[in-house]
Amino acid sequence: MRAVIVEDSVLLREGIVALLRENGIDVVAQAEDGPGLERIVSGHKPDVAICDVRLPPTFSDEGLRAAIEARKRHPGLGVLILSQYVEPVYTAELLASGEAGVGYLLKERVGDVRGFIEAVERVAAGGTALDREVVAELMRARLAGGADDGAIAALTPREREVLELMAEGRSNAAVARALVVSGGAVEKHVRNIFGKLDLPASDDDHRRVLAVLAFLRAGAA
Amino acid sequence: MLLLVSTSAPSPVWTRWSRDLLFHLAGCVTATFGLVLWCTLVPLSLGLAITFFGLVVAVASLLACRWFARVERRRAAIVLGAPIAERYAPAPDARWTARLRALLGDATTWRDFAWTGLAGVVALPLSGLAVTLWGLVAGFVTLPAWYWTLPDAADVGVWEIGSLPRALAVAVVGVILVPVTGYLVRGLTIVEVEIMRWILTPRRDDTPADEGAPAVPGDATPGRVLALPLSLHVSFALLICTVVGIIWIATGFGHYFWPIWVWLPLGLTVAIGVVVVRAQEAPPSQTRALRAHGEFWVAISAFLVSIWLVAGAGTFWPFFAILSFAIIWAVHAIFALRDRLPLGAREQQLAERVDVLTRTRRGALDVQAAELRRIERDLHDGAQARLVSLTMQLGRAEERVADQPELAALLRGAREDAGLAIAELRDLARGIAPPILADRGLAAAIEALGRRSAIPVTVDADPDQRPLPVVETAAYFVVAEALTNVAKHAGGAAARVRVLRAGDDLVVEIADDGPGGANPAGGGLTGLRHRVEALDGTLTVTSPPGGGTTIRAELPCGP
Repeated sequence: MRAVIVEDSVLLREGIVALLRENGIDVVAQAEDGPGLERIVSGHKPDVAICDVRLPPTFSDEGLRAAIEARKRHPGLGVLILSQYVEPVYTAELLASGEAGVGYLLKERVGDVRGFIEAVERVAAGGTALDREVVAELMRARLAGGADDGAIAALTPREREVLELMAEGRSNAAVARALVVSGGAVEKHVRNIFGKLDLPASDDDHRRVLAVLAFLRAGAA
Repeated sequence: MLLLVSTSAPSPVWTRWSRDLLFHLAGCVTATFGLVLWCTLVPLSLGLAITFFGLVVAVASLLACRWFARVERRRAAIVLGAPIAERYAPAPDARWTARLRALLGDATTWRDFAWTGLAGVVALPLSGLAVTLWGLVAGFVTLPAWYWTLPDAADVGVWEIGSLPRALAVAVVGVILVPVTGYLVRGLTIVEVEIMRWILTPRRDDTPADEGAPAVPGDATPGRVLALPLSLHVSFALLICTVVGIIWIATGFGHYFWPIWVWLPLGLTVAIGVVVVRAQEAPPSQTRALRAHGEFWVAISAFLVSIWLVAGAGTFWPFFAILSFAIIWAVHAIFALRDRLPLGAREQQLAERVDVLTRTRRGALDVQAAELRRIERDLHDGAQARLVSLTMQLGRAEERVADQPELAALLRGAREDAGLAIAELRDLARGIAPPILADRGLAAAIEALGRRSAIPVTVDADPDQRPLPVVETAAYFVVAEALTNVAKHAGGAAARVRVLRAGDDLVVEIADDGPGGANPAGGGLTGLRHRVEALDGTLTVTSPPGGGTTIRAELPCGP
């Protein structure tokens, strides 16, 4: 897999590059500002771009804007945003910006090496990787927005856990691993959740994730 | 002239002219009434001012003026198609003192009062002239029907009418004068109704509590709208002056110069028109009101003095009128300019000190806001980045010792601690300078607060608002704290946040439909108050039991 990195802090950039290479991901280029992202993406055609939100020269949301732009110009490019903050507005803009793989993680998640590598691979493959804080914000917005018709309240605590893990973008197998239960048990929970939320059933992990996200964002928007 | 026609399809000219006539006929009656009202009740209130009874009469006068103005707004509907908008501050359901304060504090009350006084000097001459003109024309046209009732050799206008042919000739002239009169009266109508609108229409800045109200038609159309009617007005006036001058030359040159009695009132109406246009072209301010007021009295005084001169310059009777105008204007001036009265040396010193303190405090706050944003950035680039790097290295180490579970557990513990430190730093940074505020501005940051809140929040904020960082930050924290309070004390309530400009102030209002009864001296609210007051702003908390809570912060952002 080929990845590029855009991060202005040398310390973090070097660390992430080392981490990715140790885990067999080919880092083909690095940059440190918004225009740099566009340059290396069009130059190297990577599978995934990992990008900090706050970049020079403005040190505001430059990285996010550049990433959204890149997603529009290069359909199929997976974009994984790293940030010190969870900002639901940014997540919403990112999710709305294209079909291909997308992720938004807090920076400290890179410490969980296996989880982080999994997320990078998922995004590169066209999947989703959302930080659990992002999911919690989406869930809160859905509940507070008054848009929820009680569907979430109807879920059992276990089903809610499964829903949150799915919204992070995990496959059934990954959910099962995280909750230390059997794949069959997760299947059953997922069927119940889709029934209670009145979502279209599907065997495809990715489609299921998208359905769950669409459901949560409908209340947050 | 179509400016006055509110419907899109112009009505037939006859309808318009008959409406104008109806408007002026009604005006002759109502304006006389207004004049009487003003001239009796105002001196009566002033005369009784030293007794309690004076207050009662004054309040009664104001209420009578309101009633009169409401009738007048409806009179304007005859030509406008709809009454002039009116917006009175709601009368509070409270003690009579509060009601009285609401009455006196309502700008519309004073608009009504002003119009009641002006009706006699503005509407009466204009409408009187209009009705007289139509009366003359009607007389001319119908003359053949009644000329024989006149005593021998009586004159109608300027000719002696004694026979049918002559009467018919006058009737022909009358018919020719119909369109002329129609347009003349149209001009008078425009002047009168525009002055009425200018005075009686409520403005946005009348009641700052109510910016949500729809804009009043005519609100956004100052100056230039009036310039056209004014030039028409001037040309009509000149035309009439010339016509009567010619008539005088043709009929009685060398005799008494009666056209002066046409010239003077027309001159007065033109002068008042000029005053109104000048006032409309200036930005609204105390000085503008004072100037327009002064010019208005000068015009009336000049009119009176001219009459005195023309009437033989005997005893200088206009003196009393001019004196009372001067007193009224002086009272206005004292109220309007009391901030600019010359100060004593000590007061001067204090005023300068206040200026310096205001400036330096503002400077200190600006520096502080910039400093906080710098600290936030330093945290982000420094401590937070290092901690993230530390987490990453601990994670990599953990991977390498996967075959030594004890060591791996130790490293995982260290990593989780570092993660908690990052989370704490994040909360700290968000508390001193929320990144989204710097990135996206106040409207977006408040939207984000609304989404993050545990209650449903609707936000109404103009995204183009970018006040100074220090004001922006204060506004943000007012909303954040207020929403936290709502979520904590008014569970299940919904909140509405509004951010808008009112003059030089940024107004932030958070209203909820919870149980109300909040304690304005409570901890959170006191903190907010201090933050707002440091910027010379005001924070008001309205929280009647059972009536929801509204927190309103007004933050000056002027120079």
